[in-house]
Formats: sequence, structure tokens, C-alpha cells
Amino acid sequence: MTHALQLKNVRKAYQGHVAVKGLDLEVPRGSVFGLLGPNGAGKTTSIRMAMDIIGPDTGEVLILGTKADKAMRNRIGYMPEERGLYQKMVVEDLLVFMAELKGMKPSESRRRMRPWLEKLGIAEWQKRKANEMSKGMQQKVQFIQALLHDPEILILDEPMSGLDPVGTNVMRDAMIELSRAGKTLIVSSHQMATVEQMCDRVALINKGEKVLDGRVSEIKSSYGKNTLILAFEGDGSFLKSLPGVMAVTDTGRYAELKLGPTADSQLILKAASEKLKITRFEVVEPSLHDIFIERVTEVAA
Amino acid sequence: MNDILVIAKREFNARVRTKAFVIGTILGPLFMATIMIVPALMASKLSKSVSIAVIDAEGSLQTLVEDSLRGGSPGVVATNPLSGGRGRSQGSTEFVIRKVEGADVAAQREWAKAAVLKGTLDAYVYLPPDVLVVSNADYYAKSVTDFDGIRAVARAIEKAVFSKRIRAEGIDPSRVEAMTKPLDLKRLRVSDKGAQEDKGVSFFLSLVLVMMIYGGTLMWGQIVMTGVIEEKTNRVVEVIVSSTSPQNLLFGKLVGVGGAGLLQFSIWILALVGVSAASGSLAFLSGVDMPELNPVLIAAFPVFFLLGFFLYASLYAAIGSAVNTVQEAQNFIFPVMLPIIMAMVCWPVVMRAPDSTLSVVLSLIPFMTPILMFLRMSVLMPPVWQIALSVVLTGITISIVIWIAARIYRVGILMYGKPPNFPEMVRWVRHG
Repeated sequence: MTHALQLKNVRKAYQGHVAVKGLDLEVPRGSVFGLLGPNGAGKTTSIRMAMDIIGPDTGEVLILGTKADKAMRNRIGYMPEERGLYQKMVVEDLLVFMAELKGMKPSESRRRMRPWLEKLGIAEWQKRKANEMSKGMQQKVQFIQALLHDPEILILDEPMSGLDPVGTNVMRDAMIELSRAGKTLIVSSHQMATVEQMCDRVALINKGEKVLDGRVSEIKSSYGKNTLILAFEGDGSFLKSLPGVMAVTDTGRYAELKLGPTADSQLILKAASEKLKITRFEVVEPSLHDIFIERVTEVAA
Repeated sequence: MNDILVIAKREFNARVRTKAFVIGTILGPLFMATIMIVPALMASKLSKSVSIAVIDAEGSLQTLVEDSLRGGSPGVVATNPLSGGRGRSQGSTEFVIRKVEGADVAAQREWAKAAVLKGTLDAYVYLPPDVLVVSNADYYAKSVTDFDGIRAVARAIEKAVFSKRIRAEGIDPSRVEAMTKPLDLKRLRVSDKGAQEDKGVSFFLSLVLVMMIYGGTLMWGQIVMTGVIEEKTNRVVEVIVSSTSPQNLLFGKLVGVGGAGLLQFSIWILALVGVSAASGSLAFLSGVDMPELNPVLIAAFPVFFLLGFFLYASLYAAIGSAVNTVQEAQNFIFPVMLPIIMAMVCWPVVMRAPDSTLSVVLSLIPFMTPILMFLRMSVLMPPVWQIALSVVLTGITISIVIWIAARIYRVGILMYGKPPNFPEMVRWVRHG
């Protein structure tokens, strides 16, 4: 099976620092692939190399099994992290122009844009200029720009950042719809929680290197159910001194306890319920966020 | 190729569908018509009527001066070569002579002063008793800024005084007039079609065309630069270079913006041709010297404008890609503009001796060709091979410059932060 996107030992250095250090990535066709990592991890540089906006110093980028050329690039849609719209252009003309560069006839892109504008709730802005829109609305226009020419692969760099909760939901629904239609989605984000539920595969990168990758379910189960979620009323500061507790993320009325191999969750519950009013108690798989933190600190140590 | 056209189309529309373009396109010809036709019209058609009174303390000059003000009469020297020859606005002020009231000079002056204040009289002149000796006279009016009118008054008094002095020497003024008749030097251009009188207007028009190439190159080049900076600031450029190459973007931009510039100039020139062709039948223009447009120059204009535009606009685009703001670009603009400014500096040299070796060499330097070769063509048509050579040389230079600019552009458009210095740009060009 050919991959939608493959990076083979790709490396990119800027003056003074190496942004991507020999990265290997394989994105299967039809998957929803999360490219996760903190700010400055090398996500955007990797995506730019995938889009052939910048060339890698060494290594190879394959799209649908072949080296990226113009025709191949027309099969990808790209939403950059920094939104880029001609501010003085009418939204409709802007979308037609961008799609035409990807080889779609104006008549067809006009026909296709209407349902998407409606779906994302910006239909009444079709004939207005981009600079009259709010940032969130411009982001939706950027999203439509990425998908309008009906690409097989969509690369979305931080698609949710800056959206309000309603906008986030609308965007997520649109992405799920594209995925169901068989498109490959590559979603980059530093907010792992928002992407975690949507992706079937992820790669975590940090400082230009891949920390881990694979199916989300496999990654998580390999870590076992070693996380304890507690919601409570009272002072939970003693939780971290309980036997077997390795680390605690305490947000006041809610705590995530990372358990060591010897920990007994029932003993912890008992100890906690003596001093706190417990409203929720659950043993779960760790979040990608926690796995990432753990792996990164491991590497650092 | 298709991408270039798509980008060119967008750029063209983005420039043409603006208020600034529409206004500029309409106002341009109006402005040109204004500076070309109106002075000529004013000189020949618009006459002003000034009521004037002459107070003569000398005693014998009253009639002479009044006649002279009315436009001269037999026996008065028409033109005194010593007083500066003919002025083009001589006929533009018509004097209405008012009879002076009052018993003596003092009473006349009182009356005239009151009349000027009341507004019944525009101006009066006072000739002192010794005017023939000291050549002094006074001009009184509410405003003394009608320079042409005042000059006409001075000339009229001068004529009267001059003719009076000549008469006193016992010489017949009409003989002096015949002897000092000013020379009218006609300017004739010798060409294949025979000698043609050139009143300077056609030549003036050629200069307007040269100025348009100069101004147009810089203006539209600047527009390309701000467009590049805008795309960079908006981050639009990242979306576009994910679809097409930076070279295509640069080239499409040049074609689109150049097309918009060409459209504007074409409209202007068509307007000029139209006015020029219609001038014979337009009554209000009869008597005004209208320029004749040399068809060769009209045909050559778009070629030389585009040569200049592509040469300089690609450099402007390279600058725009390397910086983040228009302010940062200012430091880089001057070295780029230097050659075209040099061309303007060389203008008088070329105009005085259009076929000298120096002029030929200067006009063949690609960065100066758009200005200087076109200037030579409008002054004295150079041999065809020189024109062809200049176009070829400039064409080659343009392809080299675009290649260099595209290398800078490719790196620059994705670079943010501190703008590069010159050695860094050289490195971009070498390593792309």
C-alpha cells in the first residue's frame, strides 16, 4: 500500500540551528494523522518540506509514492499556520483564484464553494472582502481554500487555533466529514487534547526529532492504565505523598495522578476519601499530553 | 505557464479594479491636456480687459502712451529690440483707455486714486516730468501681481518714450523700426519627407513620453514591490508557493502589473492621439499649436516602457521579498534607482548631440536604454541597428536580472525578521 505522505530521513537546518533532524514519517492513505509537538518542535518546517515550499537539506519527500511535482501537488490541500488571504480581495474571487492555481476551473470552484461556506456559517460573506471578516471567519475561509479543489490529502497546520468553542466544533465536524469521504488528513497541533480524539495515528516530535509514532490506541495501551483521575472537594495537596504515586497534576478540584508499577488504586481511593469528598474516580489510559511529557523528560534525563 | 497567467490575471485585476487606477487613468490625460493646451489657449484666446488711465506730468507723452497701450499706431516703434523683444502674452491684455479727469496733475492723481479705490478704474500710470531723462514711471493698481499686464504697460511706455527720444534726435521712428525689425528664426527639421517646421510642441510631447517611461517604470516598479511586501506580511505567499513556484509567482506578478501599467498608458496615448487628430476640427483649439505624434514613437513607447518596467520591477520585487516593511525597503531602493537617475542626468548630453559616440554608448547601456534610446528616437531617429541592438541587449539583461531576482525572491519571501545585508543576498543568489 502506498502512503499518502512519506518523509525519509529528512533534515533541514537554518542558520545556526537544525529545525528537523533526520525525520521519518509515514502517513497511510485515508488516515487522520496527527503531527503533534510543542511550539518550535519542527512541525511547520516538516509540513513546508512536504509541501515543497522549502527543500530539505537531505532526505526525500514522497507524495502518494512519488516525488512531488506540480501535478502531484494539486492533489494536496494546504492550510498554513499563518493564515494568508489577500485582504482586499472578495472572498469568492480569492477562493476561485487559489483553486485555479491548483488546476480547478472557476465555474467548478464557484459551484463547490457554496455548500462549504454554508456549512461553516460564512455564506453571507461570499461577496465581501476578506479584511471585513473576523480572524475566526478568515480561518474558515482559509480552510475552504485548502479543500476547495477537492484534494486527496489535506495538510492542516494548527486548524483549530484561535477558534471559539462553536467554531472548533464546526471545524471538527467538517474534518470528520472529509475523513469519511476518504481523504487523508494531516493535522498539526501543539494542543494535543483537541486532536487526540480525532486522529487514528499520531507522531510526536520534539526539537526536530520524532519521539514516538503509531496508532493512538496502540500507543496508549502500551502505557497501560496507569493514570488515576480524581475530582474532589477539599485540600488535595497530600495526594502526591501517597504510596505509589509518581506525579500529580493538581488543578485544585481535579487531579491526575500518575501511578507507579507498585501502586494500588484502591488503597489510594481509600486514603483520599478519608480526607476529601470524592466526586469522580477513574483509572484510565494516559493522555497523549502526559505520554509526550513523559517521553520528553525521559529523553532529557 | 497556466499558473503565470492565473497570477497575472489576478494581479492585473487587483491593480485595475481600484479607484486609484480609474481616477489616475481619467485624470492623467486631463492633466496632460491642461499643461499642454491651457497655456497655449490662454496665450492666444483668453484676453483680459484692463481699464487704465495715463497721468502725464511730462506733458507731451499722453497720446503716445495711450496709443501704444491700445496696440500701437503708425509712427511708433513696434518693438524695441533693446527692451527684450517679443513676449508671447503681449496680446493677452486689452487696455481700455480712460480719459483722465482733473485740472492739474495733482487733481488727476487724486481722481485716479479715488477711482481705483471705488473700482471704476483698474490701474493708472504716472509719468514724472523728467521721464524722458530718468526713464522712471509709476504704476498704481489695487493689485500689482498681473505680471503680464504690467509688463505690457511698461513696454507701451517704453515704446512711447523711445520714439519720443528718437524724434528729438531728428530721426524718423519708422526707419528705426525697419532697421531693428526682430528676427524670426524658424526651426525646421530636415527629414526624408522634406523640411518641416517644428514649433517645439511635437518635441515637447516626445519629452512627455520619455518622462512617462521614467515615471511609469519607477511607479509601477514600486507597486510591484509593495505588492510583494504585502503578500509577505499577509503570509499569502506561503499558500501560493505551495501551489506554484516562486518564479511563476514573480513572473506572473510582473506580467500582470506591467499589463495594468501598459493599459493606463495606452489609454493616455489614445486620448492624446484623439485630441491631436480632432484638434483641426475643434474650433476652440484653432490657432493652438497641437503636437504631431510620430507613429514610430507611439509604436516604440510600449516596447521601451516594458523594457524599463521588467528591468526595474524585477529588482524592486527582489527588494520587496527581502524586507518586511516598505520602510526597510527604502535603504535598498536608492542603488536600484541610481542607473535610471543617471539616465535622466545624461539627458541634456544626449539631447545636444544625439548621434555622438557618447550618446550612442550611453543609450546602449541596458539600464539606461529605456530612457536614452527612446530620447534619441524622439530627437533624431538613430539607425535601426542601434535600436535593435539596444532592445536585444536590454532583453538579455532582463533575463539575467529576473533570474537573479527570482533567486533572491525564492529565499526572501519566506524569511522574516532582520532584512539581509548585501553579502547575504549574494549568497542567496549563488546557492538559491
